[in-house]
Amino acid sequence: MQQLVNTLLGGLTLGMVYAAFALALVLIWRSTRIVNFAQAPMAMVTTFVALRIIEGGHSYWLGFAAALVAGLVLGAVVERVLIRPVEGKAEINAVILTLGLFIVLHALAAVVFGNRYRSFPAAFGIRGIEVGDTTIALTGFGIFTIVAVLVVMGLLVLLFRFTDLGLRMRAAAFNQEVARLLGVRVGRMLTLGWALASLVGSLAGLLIAGGSLVHPGYMDAVVVYGFVAAVLGGLDSPAGAVVGGLLLGLSLSLVSGYVGSQLVALAALAILMAVLLLRPQGLFSQARERRV
Amino acid sequence: MNPRRRRLAGAASILTSLMLVAACGAGGRDDDDSDGGGGAAEVGVTDDSIAIGGTFPLTGVAAPGYSEIPTGAKAYFDFVNAAGGVNGRTIDFTVKDDGYDPTKTSSLTNELVLKDKVFATVGSLGTPTHSAVVDFLNDEKVPDLFVSSGSLGWGDDPEARPMTFGWQPDYEIEGKIIGQYVAKNMPDAKVGLFLQDDDFGEDAEKGVRQFLDDQIVGTQRYTSGNTDVGPQVAALQASKADLVLAFTTPSYTALAQLTSLKLGFKPDWYVSNVGSDPALVGGLLEKFSEGKVPGDASALNGVMTSEYIPGIDAPDNAWVQLWQKVWDANGGQGELTNYRIYGMSWAYTFVQALQAAGKDLTREGLVEALEEAGSSLEGPNLAPYRYSEDSHLGISGMELVTLENGKGKPLTKVLTTDIGDAEIAEDDSGQSEDAPPESGIPDVDAVD
Repeated sequence: MQQLVNTLLGGLTLGMVYAAFALALVLIWRSTRIVNFAQAPMAMVTTFVALRIIEGGHSYWLGFAAALVAGLVLGAVVERVLIRPVEGKAEINAVILTLGLFIVLHALAAVVFGNRYRSFPAAFGIRGIEVGDTTIALTGFGIFTIVAVLVVMGLLVLLFRFTDLGLRMRAAAFNQEVARLLGVRVGRMLTLGWALASLVGSLAGLLIAGGSLVHPGYMDAVVVYGFVAAVLGGLDSPAGAVVGGLLLGLSLSLVSGYVGSQLVALAALAILMAVLLLRPQGLFSQARERRV
Repeated sequence: MNPRRRRLAGAASILTSLMLVAACGAGGRDDDDSDGGGGAAEVGVTDDSIAIGGTFPLTGVAAPGYSEIPTGAKAYFDFVNAAGGVNGRTIDFTVKDDGYDPTKTSSLTNELVLKDKVFATVGSLGTPTHSAVVDFLNDEKVPDLFVSSGSLGWGDDPEARPMTFGWQPDYEIEGKIIGQYVAKNMPDAKVGLFLQDDDFGEDAEKGVRQFLDDQIVGTQRYTSGNTDVGPQVAALQASKADLVLAFTTPSYTALAQLTSLKLGFKPDWYVSNVGSDPALVGGLLEKFSEGKVPGDASALNGVMTSEYIPGIDAPDNAWVQLWQKVWDANGGQGELTNYRIYGMSWAYTFVQALQAAGKDLTREGLVEALEEAGSSLEGPNLAPYRYSEDSHLGISGMELVTLENGKGKPLTKVLTTDIGDAEIAEDDSGQSEDAPPESGIPDVDAVD
């Protein structure tokens, strides 16, 4: 019983991180209609920025904030410098470009930050909470992770559903020309979309790094799981991304604990294929069809 | 077709390629290339040089600690070269970074053999990695010496792999020795096994189960690369184990300790020699939770492990003093560590093997010399080597210790045994008492 609870709680925390990552993918998808595969190394780079600052003797929260700001800036810069020239062309161009960026950032990080495993601190306790005389696998940092991701999801729903800015971002993503005719500064909206997505990605990077080991490749599995989570939720819906991340985290944790850890990646692939075959629009897609 | 669906399908196919890219990893890093050949009869040997090489994880999951091994070996070879080399030949050691990725080990070993034309590979690291190349090396008749791994595959069948020699005690005898100790001294312990899911874990389990089959309450395996070991540790906890025998690499020792802390799981631990370096594991644990885990070597206090060569915890040992001298004179950046000592120790054995093989150095001759003289070589090893025509396995034993602030406190004398049902006995060879020669360079007579 305790094992089941702890396995599920582990899956819950992990699922929240996948959810955060899926949220970043959803953000870019909603605001630019492409999938950003460079999200993982971008988050890795900003996490290393935080690590540098923390190792330099500054507080955890300064590093945390710096990483988020770095994420915001990095996202904007990537959009302006790299993605802008191929905007308006086939979407696959931009997607391939993000793949290239994936490799470049990896290599650069290895040069700048070194290629070895390092430990990353956590802001809150890493001991499990004690209930009676048993300890459950939910740490202070785990709770922080869950709360942070839920708050971000809420903010994104508010942004897209209830604000003028969100509407403009969606319009810019959906049909640039019509949006322009209606007075939307499309370029700015796209930059903003990338910046926000990169910020959420950085948060995911920090959350998964906290109290664990980091190295330039530590986010690579997360981009795969985050993508699966986003597809599971429908790529379009922030709530879907969170539910998708949770489902994925829980199932992978159960697979790891009760079947075998060597099957985790395979299980993720099986889930991805099942979703693409059975319900390609995802579990939570709102508009079934959009014809333009 | 629905444009959205098409886009999604495109993204999915890209995802597949991405997984491939990630699996292939970034390109390797080559150190200096040596120009092999040059008129001598044997590949890689000239009148004044011997080209050798090896593959090591300088980057990636297995890099902490292990990447220091070739730096130690190189320092010792430089030390020997500065004193004139072996029979007038200097040793050129080419190090290749395989990132603990078997596909890269394959191509880099091809490079070493076919392009750099090395005389032998020495010290190549890792069970999964070296498994990918061991048959190639034997087919090419390249001496494949002192594999840095305790798998049985490096020496239990010299007929099938005549060129391959192990060096450190294999995981099966380590499993046997700790298994017998627990059966004798902790007969009521409920034992959990935490194993790497490859030969490392399998060989160790084979040894442990010879003695502890009845006491084992749970067995969990982790996959190298997946850093979430929560489900495995939770399962061990559920099995009510109060002694966990962990056959893990250092990163996973740290992750297991961390996860146990998270789950409030407090068993006694035995950590395999390869995963128990207190300085390294302590360093990895250090920054978690800002000092709530002790960051120095005391992080592993009370943990049992084993030793088969003297390490930095014994600065007064004559061997360690030699290694310190070598490192101060020829080392690169950083301090002397147990991993560097490990590299120096097999480098020492390699120099002994070259001396035993004599002036007319050939690949065949080197193998024969090791089979003939190997078991009598005196080096830093606490127990004798097992080299013979029937076995190419390395050091025959180890002592069990408890870690206390980074120092190993002996629990047993040096115990020797062999694979299978060979008995475990206290070592009487005196190997653990010897000291290196004054010059720091071995002086082994050539076999006839």
